Amino acid sequence: MRKMFILGLDCTPPKILYEEYNVELEYLKEIVEEGTRFNLKSCHPPITIPAWIVMFTGKTPGELGIYGFRHRKPGDVRESYIVNSRFIKAPTLWDVLGRRGYRVGVIGVPPTYPPKPVHGFMISDFITPGPEKPYTFPPLLKVELERFFGPYIFDVIYRSHEKDKIVKELFAMTKQHLSIVQYLLGKKRWDVFIYVEIGVDRVHHAFWKYFDREHPRHVEHPVYSKTIPEYYKLIDEGFKSIKEKLPKDTIVVITSDHGAKAMKGAFVVNQWLEEQGYLKFKEKPRRPGEDIDREIIDWEHTMVWGWGGYYARMFINLEGREPKGIVKKEEYEDLINQLKKDIRKIKGPKGEPWNSKVYTPYELYPEVNGDAPDLIVYFDNLSWRSAGTVGWDTIYLPENDRGPDDAVHDWHGVFAVYDPEGTVGKGFKGEIRIERVFDLLMKLMQS
Amino acid sequence: MGFKIMGEEKVAVHISKELYEKARKYVEESEGEFKSVDELVEFVLKEVLSEEVEEKVFTKEEEEKIKERLRALGYI
Repeated sequence: MRKMFILGLDCTPPKILYEEYNVELEYLKEIVEEGTRFNLKSCHPPITIPAWIVMFTGKTPGELGIYGFRHRKPGDVRESYIVNSRFIKAPTLWDVLGRRGYRVGVIGVPPTYPPKPVHGFMISDFITPGPEKPYTFPPLLKVELERFFGPYIFDVIYRSHEKDKIVKELFAMTKQHLSIVQYLLGKKRWDVFIYVEIGVDRVHHAFWKYFDREHPRHVEHPVYSKTIPEYYKLIDEGFKSIKEKLPKDTIVVITSDHGAKAMKGAFVVNQWLEEQGYLKFKEKPRRPGEDIDREIIDWEHTMVWGWGGYYARMFINLEGREPKGIVKKEEYEDLINQLKKDIRKIKGPKGEPWNSKVYTPYELYPEVNGDAPDLIVYFDNLSWRSAGTVGWDTIYLPENDRGPDDAVHDWHGVFAVYDPEGTVGKGFKGEIRIERVFDLLMKLMQS
Repeated sequence: MGFKIMGEEKVAVHISKELYEKARKYVEESEGEFKSVDELVEFVLKEVLSEEVEEKVFTKEEEEKIKERLRALGYI
């Protein structure tokens, strides 16, 4: 029976792992150099949820019916619900391998809260409300871990100006995770071990402008410019200790779920829709950062509204579906087509052309389940995030509407695999789509 | 048959001796985390069953807290 260890680095782009841009890697580099590597093409949308679960089920977001962290309840502009493990109906890699008798260890894969029974053990992901909740399988694992490592740290809140505090908390969280992983590797029976570290994503978002010299607002800082390199050093050294605990013939995978790049700004989607005549406010919102809600939108004159995030979701005020729907079914297609044309014409603040992408879910997925948006939009191919709030005096915000953020997501992540048994070969193999990873991992386990 | 300890009604259940011995050993090694096998059994069943019987994964407060976190993290 083969053994496999998967290190998931949320948000790591090829530039960092493969080209060692601004970082020094020793032990992760060995895997990259001795094994096969791909540029991992993330899913639509390239966001932590659904990307990891797409990887570990082999299903597209449309098939899974998962399009982000939250979904809207049709017929309600404000109400949304948070995705959790119970939404995952397709069998995961750990379900399939567990059924075949492999013992699995699953740590931090989004979304795995609430934890479900597995043939092995599990610690749920950062969506877990807190360590007071049941977050492990088996339940006693929580007691065991807390005895040695204290309450599990699920996440840090990084979008704050208290950078020193973030650094401290980020490093403390990741050190705890690495210690727990090493403990479990040595103490428990496992054949497949998956560990996803969310801290990588957090350090990118909080410190990218200090790190990436090509960032439009790059700042060289004596401390913060070193934070991302030092964080990767922590991961690299943690991986060294992990590797020492792995049986010699273990297949090692290092993967991310999407990449990162500089954020150019945030585009105020609902104010743009208003400018274009798709949306009408009852009265002009004046408080910058105001959320759109039922009270401020004039629904009788609104055809479309949007949500913020790393990508924009747009919803049509469709008759029969929405409480005050005004767009008739027969007008829907024409409206979608007109919107697409208008979105593709959006230019930047200085009149520079943008490369915005816009899709209906039906164009992207073989099946569309769950509460899908009507349109999925990437402003300037993800370089501009979508601001869902209103009340701004411009539609181009230099920073995120929710506070400072230095990075946005990018399409390409990493996927490197090393098999000491020599089944995978060496070198760069081009692109692998995230939906294809599941089959590849299954094949490797049977090699 | 039910009886009350410290005001809370309790019932007796039967488990195999072998499992009981394992549980007793676990309690001994738990360094005071669990005071008795009863406490251990109560904890494990509570953890296993709590999510199963609850229809909602998040309470309203938890859902709001998570949304606030997701906003701060830039996801929404």
